[in-house]
Amino acid sequence: MISQETLDKVLMNVEKPARYIGHEQNIYIKNKSNMKATFAFAFPDIYDVGMSHLGLHILYNLLNEQDDFYCERVFAPWVDMEKQMRDNNIPLYSLETKTPINEFDFVGFTLQYEMSYTNILNMLDLSNIPLESSNREEGDPFIIAGGPCAYNPEPLADIIDFFVIGEAEETILKVMNEYIKSKEEGVSRKAFLESIVNIPGIYIPSFYKITYNEDNTIREMIPLKDNYPRKIKKVIQEDLDETYFPNKMIVPYIETVHDRVILEIFRGCIRGCRFCQAGMIYRPVRERSVNHLLSLAKQLIKATGHEEISISSLSTSDYSQLETLVTSLIDEYKDQKIGLSLPSLRLDSFSLDMIKEIQKIRKTGLTFAPEAGSQRLRDVINKGINEEDLVKAVRDAFNMGWSTVKLYFMIGLPTETEKDLYGIKDLGYKVKEEFFSLPKEKMKGSLKITISASCFVPKAFTPFQWHPQNTIEEFRKKQEYLKDIIKDRKITYNTHDAKVSFLEAVFARGDRRVSKVLIEAFKNGAKFDGWRDQFKYDVWMKAFKKENVDPRFYANRERNYEEVLPWDFINIGVTKQFLIKENEKAKEGKLTPNCAVSCSGCGITRDFKGGIC
Amino acid sequence: MARLRVKFKKSSLIRYISHLDLMRLFQRALRRANVPVEYSQGYNPKPKFSFATALALGTTSDGEYMDIELIEKIKPEDFIENMNNVLPEGIKILRAYYTEEIKSLMAIIEWSSYLIELKLLNEVEKENILDFLNDFLDKDELLILKKKKKKGKFVTKEINIRKKINKIELMLLEDNKLILKTLLKTGSSGNLKPEDLIKSFKKEGLDINDEEYKIHRLELFREKDGKREVL
Ligand code: SF4
Repeated sequence: MISQETLDKVLMNVEKPARYIGHEQNIYIKNKSNMKATFAFAFPDIYDVGMSHLGLHILYNLLNEQDDFYCERVFAPWVDMEKQMRDNNIPLYSLETKTPINEFDFVGFTLQYEMSYTNILNMLDLSNIPLESSNREEGDPFIIAGGPCAYNPEPLADIIDFFVIGEAEETILKVMNEYIKSKEEGVSRKAFLESIVNIPGIYIPSFYKITYNEDNTIREMIPLKDNYPRKIKKVIQEDLDETYFPNKMIVPYIETVHDRVILEIFRGCIRGCRFCQAGMIYRPVRERSVNHLLSLAKQLIKATGHEEISISSLSTSDYSQLETLVTSLIDEYKDQKIGLSLPSLRLDSFSLDMIKEIQKIRKTGLTFAPEAGSQRLRDVINKGINEEDLVKAVRDAFNMGWSTVKLYFMIGLPTETEKDLYGIKDLGYKVKEEFFSLPKEKMKGSLKITISASCFVPKAFTPFQWHPQNTIEEFRKKQEYLKDIIKDRKITYNTHDAKVSFLEAVFARGDRRVSKVLIEAFKNGAKFDGWRDQFKYDVWMKAFKKENVDPRFYANRERNYEEVLPWDFINIGVTKQFLIKENEKAKEGKLTPNCAVSCSGCGITRDFKGGIC
Repeated sequence: MARLRVKFKKSSLIRYISHLDLMRLFQRALRRANVPVEYSQGYNPKPKFSFATALALGTTSDGEYMDIELIEKIKPEDFIENMNNVLPEGIKILRAYYTEEIKSLMAIIEWSSYLIELKLLNEVEKENILDFLNDFLDKDELLILKKKKKKGKFVTKEINIRKKINKIELMLLEDNKLILKTLLKTGSSGNLKPEDLIKSFKKEGLDINDEEYKIHRLELFREKDGKREVL
């Protein structure tokens, strides 16, 4: 245990010391000596970000409700705290009992974005845990990982002992129980891993060998023993009303990114946008019932005292009972001045009315995500919105008194031409015209339009997984072009750093050969790569060079359908044939209807039950 | 409508949360405890309460005060019990009573008593410490440099803090540890932070580590007819 005295010495020297004290409302303090297994939930970013993550609250409470297990939290210390820790020989510790992380049985990282991978290494290093799984010995914790990025686990293959693919709730409990048995029997690390290799959703990278072709593509993935599974099937919860959801959440002291009660209304998405990984990996769509949600909301508000409830899903408008849910929540909580936020809403007149209703209590911003500038390109990516609808929604919004609008786009989408880029500007200007064609008395506030254009990163398990990403140079040209043509005082144009997106593309579709690049870059100072002021592109380029790995091979190369992709061994339910079909339809600009309109046979029903389909 | 005056303490790790965090903490605790608190109007309704002073990050206290506006009266005992049930360890409501006073707490309070724990860099005899403190308080001028924001720019100004110090007592001297008790001006009529007193000690020649210290507030006082009174 790190003593209070030791911490007192350093906490006054860092920004927001409350990030490092734990001690919040609704945490669990347990007697360690009575525990049969301990788990450190590790979020590879700072407290402020990690505490906003719903998965943390779910797993934390789920594990702690078991008498034999103890789950504590740990986050990446910000650079100021890291320096204090290194200068004063303080190892990375858990927030609840200030126990060094290397004393835990499991350290579980959640992989929410690729650019957090070096933070995992930094956290292991601060814990004095060997970075590579092959160097860990008896007594070291098992380093495990899950979350959306685990659907292509290979870039972390050398680092992580085992992955949990899919919705981890039940799998983790099975693993922990197996661990208790192994511990009682006193078996080795290896033997424990052997004992869990057939639990659904578990992937142990060291149990496989990869061979390569001459052109550097993968030839084959070979299980080292016959009983190791050739395919890893993701695990899902069939019925969300039967699925564990916590009735309390830890209440942070400092302001976090999403500082509120989170209600997860459904998993999956009916839309099938072709660039979107979440839309494919989380299929099938499974909803929670309104009654269940209302009862959860009640318990959560009581336990936290939060002033806001946020509804969480990939596409809120697609929840079948949205109106009932929203009206009930407003009715229930307006007297207590509890606000409601509805992110990921498709904006149309129906949802605007609803937002208007919510605005009575608390103010929220308006965001539209057309993603592409032209109708042609929107059809290519299967983003089923057309310009008239969008312009009409904006007009309605202005009529209702809004004057601040954000528009989200991506550049570098497959088949994109200059015309499509011009469309981004065009749409922005049309939105502006709508505002100024209002009758004078309707124009409220001063108009502010923000156009954000991020760089497209092709992801595993999407119809675009075979596409080359634009090069940094191509991105830069496009960004400059947009900057040149968007010239209006009312319109702000934001870009993303193409270099970050380039690296993201490498790790989103990388194989296990990029593991060593991660380690090399980390050793030379890369961390917090998702933070603009911390990102060190040169360090990365040197690391690729040193390890003799060409990043363009992963980011900018077009794959053919026959190529063995690094993530092919994972079964997400949606078939490769479906992804190919979708990619071909994209080339022709043909739309695929959403799953509520008609089923397009993505294959999910073959292996998975529980969805609406 | 009723104004509930509340005394609470802040101890252990809670000293690492900022004043802003403390406000948020109370907002949520009041909701968890189902206190019928009044809300402000407008887009961002906030429960109405105000603190006597802001306690610096890192400082613990046995004497923090706040006024809470309620839409209906509840029993102070119930308030104390319900709040203490939902507050995190380290924050505790000690006292609560209704007040008719209109003036804000900040305008009412005048003095604050503190315990200050310092580390001496070299061993010093008790006599010498007492002499130092006597000399210190005998001075008419104790100047320290203060950064102030003026028209958006930082300017350093020399200020005399002597009048803002009422007394300083030696409580303990053990090895290198020195504990002092002091009474300093606090509130909207003038304010001296204990951190600034420590700066002044250093400047006037007390051989201390002026980066590592502990400050604990004991109590806040008002002044009535020249006499100090607890709130
Ligand atoms: S099976 Fe059909 S309805 Fe279900 S997710 Fe796939 S495409 Fe949609």
